[in-house]
Amino acid sequence: MKRELTITSQAIEEAKLIAGRKMSAGMGAAVYFAGVVREMEEGKAISAIDYEAFKPMAERQFHLIFDQVEKRWPIESIRLIHRVGIVKVNEPSLWVEVIAPHRGEAFAACQYLIDEMKRVVPIWKKSV
Amino acid sequence: MNVSVQFFSYFKDLAGCPRFVAAVAPEATIGELLDVIYKQFPKLEPMRKSTLVAVGLEYQDRAYVLKDGDEVSLFPPVQGG
Repeated sequence: MKRELTITSQAIEEAKLIAGRKMSAGMGAAVYFAGVVREMEEGKAISAIDYEAFKPMAERQFHLIFDQVEKRWPIESIRLIHRVGIVKVNEPSLWVEVIAPHRGEAFAACQYLIDEMKRVVPIWKKSV
Repeated sequence: MNVSVQFFSYFKDLAGCPRFVAAVAPEATIGELLDVIYKQFPKLEPMRKSTLVAVGLEYQDRAYVLKDGDEVSLFPPVQGG
């Protein structure tokens, strides 16, 4: 399974990411998810979220999740980008793409990956 | 022995510093290290149950036996995405 993991303070450029998609002829499903900053956080209006990561551990924990994904589903590739620093309302803080032979495993792997990220990957947010 | 401790997220604000070096008994556990930390940084104690602890880049539980020079990280529940 190919993996591309990026934790960055740079903006996520979705159009560029989609244009750069690579999938082999046997793959029938490309699922992607963008997590976007909402204007309300715990009932309060905000202008942005400031993300902090313990980067080396976050990378390690993401790779442990990818290992589990690889064991459970026949995934060809994962690309995942998570922002750190200030992310304004309406901008994506997370972008994930899963390429698989069929939609069932692509959706399941994407959901699992994000659920596990929210449980173990050391990234925190502060409303701005 | 000494272990270095670093704090993340709002734990840095509650501790008033991003890191410090803790002196603990040889073969101290993480649970025992936490007792040392809470004496020095009492504002962290109310989060005792929800505090996550890593040694290096891996999560460890309260019974983990520390080694001299270990790098311990303390932080609140994670919130990625």
